[in-house]
Amino acid sequence: MLSPWGAVFIFLAVGIVFGAGGIATSFLVHPRRQYASKYEPYECGMETIGPTWVQFKTSYFLYALLFVIFDVETIYLYPWAVKFQSLGLFAFIEMLVFIFILVVGLWYAWKEGALEWM
Amino acid sequence: MNVDLSLLNPEIAISILGLAVLVLGLIIPKESRHGLGWLTALGLLGVLGLTISGWNNQGTLYHGMFIVDQYAIFFKITFLTAAFLVTLGSMRFVDDMGDQSEYYSMMLFATLGMMVLASAGDFITLYLGLELMTIAFIVLVCFKRLDGKSVEAGMKYVLLAGMSSAVLLYGLSLIYGVTGSVTISEVGRAVAVTPVPALILGLVMLVAGLGFKISAVPFHMWAPDIYEGAPTPVTSYLAVGSKAASFAILLRVFVAALPGIWANWTMLVAVLSAITIIVGNLVAIPQTNIKRLLAYSSIAQAGYILVGLVTASEQGIKGVMFYAFLYVFATIGAFTVATYFYNVTGSDEIKDYAGLSQRSPLMAVVMLICMLSMAGIPPLAGFVGKFYLFKTIVDNYLWLAFIGLIMSMVSVYYYLRVALVMYRDEPLDNSPINLSTPVAVTLIIAMVATLFIGIYPGPLSQVINMAAHSFFMH
Amino acid sequence: MLTLSVGLTQYMVLSAILFGIGLFGVLSKKNAIAVLICIELMLNAVNINLLAFNKFVTPTQFIGQIFAIFVITVAAAEVGVGLAIIIAIYRNKLSVNLDEFDWLKW
Repeated sequence: MLSPWGAVFIFLAVGIVFGAGGIATSFLVHPRRQYASKYEPYECGMETIGPTWVQFKTSYFLYALLFVIFDVETIYLYPWAVKFQSLGLFAFIEMLVFIFILVVGLWYAWKEGALEWM
Repeated sequence: MNVDLSLLNPEIAISILGLAVLVLGLIIPKESRHGLGWLTALGLLGVLGLTISGWNNQGTLYHGMFIVDQYAIFFKITFLTAAFLVTLGSMRFVDDMGDQSEYYSMMLFATLGMMVLASAGDFITLYLGLELMTIAFIVLVCFKRLDGKSVEAGMKYVLLAGMSSAVLLYGLSLIYGVTGSVTISEVGRAVAVTPVPALILGLVMLVAGLGFKISAVPFHMWAPDIYEGAPTPVTSYLAVGSKAASFAILLRVFVAALPGIWANWTMLVAVLSAITIIVGNLVAIPQTNIKRLLAYSSIAQAGYILVGLVTASEQGIKGVMFYAFLYVFATIGAFTVATYFYNVTGSDEIKDYAGLSQRSPLMAVVMLICMLSMAGIPPLAGFVGKFYLFKTIVDNYLWLAFIGLIMSMVSVYYYLRVALVMYRDEPLDNSPINLSTPVAVTLIIAMVATLFIGIYPGPLSQVINMAAHSFFMH
Repeated sequence: MLTLSVGLTQYMVLSAILFGIGLFGVLSKKNAIAVLICIELMLNAVNINLLAFNKFVTPTQFIGQIFAIFVITVAAAEVGVGLAIIIAIYRNKLSVNLDEFDWLKW
């Protein structure tokens, strides 16, 4: 009979074989003919021009950053909301202070133009 | 639940000040933003007064999470003094740089982080204070975002600080796992019962993480680069504030909570201290950039302060606090000269300081006094500080005292090299340097405090005695 | 029915491995973003540790969970600042390769 960890081991082994097997099979059976277009990043696509590290719009980054801030804020709101009844007024005021500080941050970001798509 | 919020007054005041400065920067027009520097300086002075007035108001909050004793209050006074002097001395620098409101609010938040750190009674508070301080400093270090050097320094700082805090946290998690508590005093009690290998590993990681912040020698590699790349006022605050705060918490964790374990570690600390003193002083000799020179000298100073941790007695703690306090004036004096000199000439090279004594006698004399104080020449403050530190170890660690003495002489050599350039060499540019009033005030405060503490250390020494005594009360 | 007995040891080994991978990555990777990701791995190892200890050492209290929440928050802040700096340095140098940052000597 298998020990409980044996099942995990089998799972792991099958996973590795599944991944490595595909790569190994393709390595063994694929035809070996070399010509120039084989070395392009996209074999059937356009030829790339210039460096591949192009600048992306930082607006994406700013939105992601603001999202992360308010996403993480939820972690603190959640336990407080669950225990709202028993925590009482003091915790409510504390939470208002907490949210106020975050709103100041949001206001700052807004004023500095982080929310506008430039 | 009964919470005496008056204990938190300084922290609350400084967070309100920080938010207010940030918001005011949005409201008021660009031309009048230089007033924010004055607002910050006056606000810091107010918070300093508030902190001093709470000297006798001691206690703990939230089941020991937040300790307000005279030890913590003394360190808070140190940070606030440093922040005040840096703000006062760097207004013109910041006006040239722009973005005043962000700069000053980050400065205030870094100060808040240090104050929380000095009062930390458990690991969560410790971690939050440490990270608040570090993240604010990261932003400050790369504040000149168009200057490649500054951004590069910020990048190095964020990666290395992230790694060091991850190591520190892993250590904290192991300590929590072994003792089942994160409150420093409870950890101390639990450790006395069960010392196990995982705990030792955790403590080693904690020492490594804090050693990074104080730039003790195996973990010092970041310091010179970041000190050179950062805007000069930030460098001075980084050298003074983040170091003093890390020493405060290092003492709190190891000396107050783990005296039994610490006793076995004194040799390690003595060796660490000796290496830090030797490397810091020797590498400082060939430096040609004033900020790099001061960076290595500040590594050496960290080594001297570590001496106070070797015996971990009340005397040792007193030495650490005394030295941390006078180090504020010496370092900020020297860095304010460097900041202003950079503003006028755009150079940080020592050779450009030629003939500074003719161009601005006050700047030259403050630089000289601050450097001699760091070298420990009587009758300046640095001598008294070193005396208090080394007095604690002459009985058992005479060799360490010898190393400290010899290396102090070495440091006189490279400090005097700067003095020689300032006083002997002919200036390339004869135009006198006019000091603005706030800078002159900063320099005079730094100089007078360094002289006064050196000649008449009595009152400060008594205050520190009280503070060091309060440290052992719980 | 398959029941696994996952104890404290397994969690600690997992977290130690994760921490080791992260530390190795921080010390060996050349790309700044990869280094930042590896720092996150180290912090996640810490979180696993904290939660495991919370479950096995202090099951009646929630110290470890609270600690983990704070670690997550601070890690988010740190990554935000880190990425912003990487963007700033990319604009200066058009690269995020750590070997090319040589204005300051190490």
